[in-house]
Amino acid sequence: MNILVINAGSSSVKYQLIDTDKELALAKGTVSRIGMSASVLTHKPHDRAEVKVSAEILDHIIAIEYIVTILMSENHGVIKDASEIHAVGHRVVHGGEKFSSSVLITKELMAELRNLIELAPLHNPHNIRGINACMQKLPDVPMVAVFDTAYHSKMPPHAYIYGLPYVMYKRYGIRRYGFHGTSHRYVADLAAKKLDKDRSECKIITAHLGNGASIAAIDRGISVDTSMGFTPLEGLLMGTRTGDLDPAIILHIMAREELTLHEANTLLNKHSGLAGISGVSSDMREIEESVDENKNSALALETYCYRVKKYIGAYAAAMGGVDALVFTAGIGENSSIVRSKSCQGLGFMGIGIDEAVNAKSKGIEADISSMKSTVKTFVIPTNEELVIARDTRELVESH
Amino acid sequence: MNQGNIIIIGAGIMGQGLAEAISASGQDVILIDKTTKLAQKGIKGITESIDHEIEKWGLTQSDKKSILARIQPSTDLSQVEDAEIVLEAIPDEIGMKKKLFEQLDSLCQPNTLLISNTSTLSISEIASVTERPEKIIGMHFLNPVTKIPLVEFVKGLKTNQETFDKAVQFAQTLDKQWITVNEYPGFVTTRIIVPMMNEAMHILMEGVASASDIDKAMKLGFGFNVGPLTLADMMGLDVVMSWMENLLKELVEHKYNPCPLLRKLVRSGHLGVKTGKGFFTYDSEGNKLRENQLNGALVE
Repeated sequence: MNILVINAGSSSVKYQLIDTDKELALAKGTVSRIGMSASVLTHKPHDRAEVKVSAEILDHIIAIEYIVTILMSENHGVIKDASEIHAVGHRVVHGGEKFSSSVLITKELMAELRNLIELAPLHNPHNIRGINACMQKLPDVPMVAVFDTAYHSKMPPHAYIYGLPYVMYKRYGIRRYGFHGTSHRYVADLAAKKLDKDRSECKIITAHLGNGASIAAIDRGISVDTSMGFTPLEGLLMGTRTGDLDPAIILHIMAREELTLHEANTLLNKHSGLAGISGVSSDMREIEESVDENKNSALALETYCYRVKKYIGAYAAAMGGVDALVFTAGIGENSSIVRSKSCQGLGFMGIGIDEAVNAKSKGIEADISSMKSTVKTFVIPTNEELVIARDTRELVESH
Repeated sequence: MNQGNIIIIGAGIMGQGLAEAISASGQDVILIDKTTKLAQKGIKGITESIDHEIEKWGLTQSDKKSILARIQPSTDLSQVEDAEIVLEAIPDEIGMKKKLFEQLDSLCQPNTLLISNTSTLSISEIASVTERPEKIIGMHFLNPVTKIPLVEFVKGLKTNQETFDKAVQFAQTLDKQWITVNEYPGFVTTRIIVPMMNEAMHILMEGVASASDIDKAMKLGFGFNVGPLTLADMMGLDVVMSWMENLLKELVEHKYNPCPLLRKLVRSGHLGVKTGKGFFTYDSEGNKLRENQLNGALVE
């Protein structure tokens, strides 16, 4: 079955056409600068070279039209007819408390999704725009929504409630939701396989370290805690986000620097994290390259890894032990330094890394645990699109 | 959402703010003024405003790059021929506005949305010089445009619903909230705030309290972000005076008479933040340094 996987942002749409029988991405690409000058479609069929198409792409509907057209084009296409797209799977960031798994998209569901905009004003409106565009351009194709939050929806209340008046939870839905769920789920399932166990038998910590970063405690197949909270700002240090912070700090800074809500929000989300501490870059590669000449780059790196380590300890405690630790996403898959530093001193709890294997493992699946360690440490490249395609297939076939 | 070509005429403070806000929303915009020097000055002003916002953590360097890349300075009014939306942001003087709208009427496509950013003038009167009064609407943005979430929609006598709906759609792309006012001099915001600033000037002139204390009273006592005298300095004292004069001319009530102290400052070329001196003294960055002594002779 061919599934078109769509990840719609404010001015971009990422897509993959996945053949779920072979679990192969037939083509992947991105439409960027939607609604702006110089929009561009970058398209890569799995067996041919990448192409770039410049076009006037005014909205998400036109973007989807371009995607479907190029998938069918004579030179760059991978299918002959739109009827070879059997279903569409959409990434939707926020599923609120309502959605604990992927769902088939219906009119009623669209209304529910619109109700969730309040919780994710930056992401859900664009996801909805992507769904609407596909409904127009591929009207008879079944569609599925796969939520970033769904995998964390079984977290126990003591892990998701904040120490605020309970009425805030009732009134505004303020609680921990967690994100990157699709990625945590994919790598946790794969780690269980590597341990040669059923997921219901393992305690796994998954560290999704990308430009946004989160870590999760997966106890017998269920995410029982995760570091991102009500929004993706909480938890680990990130490229430009603060992660954990004493909330009084922001009130203090707002008063001292007379900041508006918007300015404070940008300070926390775009000027902080690795970029804020180092003053060099939000990119871990550039931080690593500059540690020798820039003291603050070294500090940013140390702070980043220390925060990861703290969470590993905390989540092992939350689960009463750990069988495997997984690193994934851009930094997790590629930075041996971050993996090494984050695990330093964790020998007491059975975590140890084979530095030689670790140094060689970049962007590939690997077991980087040392001989002595009792906890397995894996590098597993994530594949959220594949999970979306699998869920979509399963739901479409069962209806 | 892209609205097609958007053009702003007038690269002063309001034109700059509009260009920055429109570009920040992801839309391309052309900023037209009479000379290359004025158009470039507009871009310089926008650059400074963005730099200030970066210092205040509100924007990033990459935001700066993309915002500036979407704004094209120009002196060629004929570019309005292809525009979908034209926003007028020239000085609030009825003769100039009428002349411009006459030109726009002859140059623009029949469906172009024509918007005036006037604070006090009559949209009906501006529209009367065109063949399409139903397609003209007032959108009174407030300075600084990027920060103030409000816009006043001003319907002229003949403005039609389609024009209003298009303008609302445009305001939504800028993430603005709005109020609708029927045309009347000063609308809501100017009608309230300008006489209030004028009253503050009278209080100062009569020696009741210092400028700093008057501002402090309104900030702490009534939750104003900025006191009335500082606000007048920020708006430009010549601009404030012209608004008072417009209100006086239209409504013929003594309460709209500009305060003599305001007249004195404007005649002396002390126009507020933009000249470095008004009720307070400012450095070249616009930071307030001290209060000026205005009783008797103006202190240089």
